[in-house]
Amino acid sequence: MNALGAVFAREARLAWSGGGGAAGPAAFFLAAITLAPLAIGPAADLLSAVGPGIMGFAALLSVLQSADRLFGDDHGDGTAELYLLSGVSPAWLVLAKVMGQAAATLWPLPVIGCLGAMMYGVPVQPALIGALALLAAIPALSLIAGFAGALAAGIRRSGLLIALIATPMMVPVLIFAAGAGRSAFEGDERAVANLLLTLAVSLGTTALAPFGIAAAIRSRLS
Amino acid sequence: MQSATEIAPDMPALATETLRVSGLSLARGGIELVRDFSLELAPGDAVLMSGPNGTGKTTLLRALAGFIRPDAGEIRFGDLPPGEAAADYLGWLGHADGLKHNETPRSALRFWADLTGQSRKAILPLMRGMAVESLIDRPASRLSRGQQRRTALVRVALSNRPIWLLDEPAGPLDGGGRARLAALVAWHRARGGSVIAATHQLLDWPEAKRIDLGAHR
Repeated sequence: MNALGAVFAREARLAWSGGGGAAGPAAFFLAAITLAPLAIGPAADLLSAVGPGIMGFAALLSVLQSADRLFGDDHGDGTAELYLLSGVSPAWLVLAKVMGQAAATLWPLPVIGCLGAMMYGVPVQPALIGALALLAAIPALSLIAGFAGALAAGIRRSGLLIALIATPMMVPVLIFAAGAGRSAFEGDERAVANLLLTLAVSLGTTALAPFGIAAAIRSRLS
Repeated sequence: MQSATEIAPDMPALATETLRVSGLSLARGGIELVRDFSLELAPGDAVLMSGPNGTGKTTLLRALAGFIRPDAGEIRFGDLPPGEAAADYLGWLGHADGLKHNETPRSALRFWADLTGQSRKAILPLMRGMAVESLIDRPASRLSRGQQRRTALVRVALSNRPIWLLDEPAGPLDGGGRARLAALVAWHRARGGSVIAATHQLLDWPEAKRIDLGAHR
């Protein structure tokens, strides 16, 4: 098996065997979208209007929720040093790692996002577009969470630092992803534009973030 | 005691290289730990570094691996600095064993073999050499500290790199484990490999050069 495939497969396997796989982010996401209406109130038209936005926001939080483990564990158990000495380009390696983890743990988010939006009273088509936008946002969200996690690796109570670093960086992708669902709900033609912009942010993050993550890992080891 | 010939995995020949360190100075947190340290490690050599806690044994190993930039001096693998050469020449055993608690040695070692482009066929013979082959399907969290260390040593050998940097390799090992470590190191040196180990224990490796790092302050 080639090196990057091995990293991807191992991350996915480790996420399943120890971290409960997709259960953690999914449970967090479900809890957030279940509790939100209790706070907002029972007005049906209000709920369907905020539905797409809540889905994007809750998905972002559930990605952040496990960000400390992604590179924090590697830092603590000596894996990070071995990665840097493996001879594989660190940027490619961390990209494979983040994507392996995301594929194993974040796949339920678009599904729950679609069903959740419909439960909020959003019609099927806007709910599907919102789910597509979540899917397009996952690479950006998980790489930004990974970058923050790598910078904070090995620091006690790294969660605070991760939230401070990642939250501002996630602003564009949240605006576009939630905007796609919202415009689709309002029957606005900007839905597709927002969807494409979400994808563009994800692609840009995929191109840049791995270098940042690799540099962060190296600096945390020196 | 296990003889060196009993560890005989089928592995490609080592790309041997000489490590040269000259005039190295290292400081951590404003405190100078190592001053004007020089060393030449030719293929087949072994160096045992000792010294009280805090004398910079780990820092020195980390500098050799390229994780820390030295304040002065030069580190060369052949003609190359650590940043370019470490991944080609170094087998690394740090403080931590690099094991995931929910992963079995079988999965972990297969992964490291795949990642570093080595054959998986050497895993079993090397595990037999460290007497951990019966634990191959047990998650690392259920291995003892010594068994984890032995598994990590198998990973170092599996990498098929010529220069091993070992930080307290025998720390949690029992007498039998130390003998097997000695046999593993003897096998590696016989192939043209070299070893630098930081250790507090009296390791009986034949013709190993001993360096007291406390004397370099």
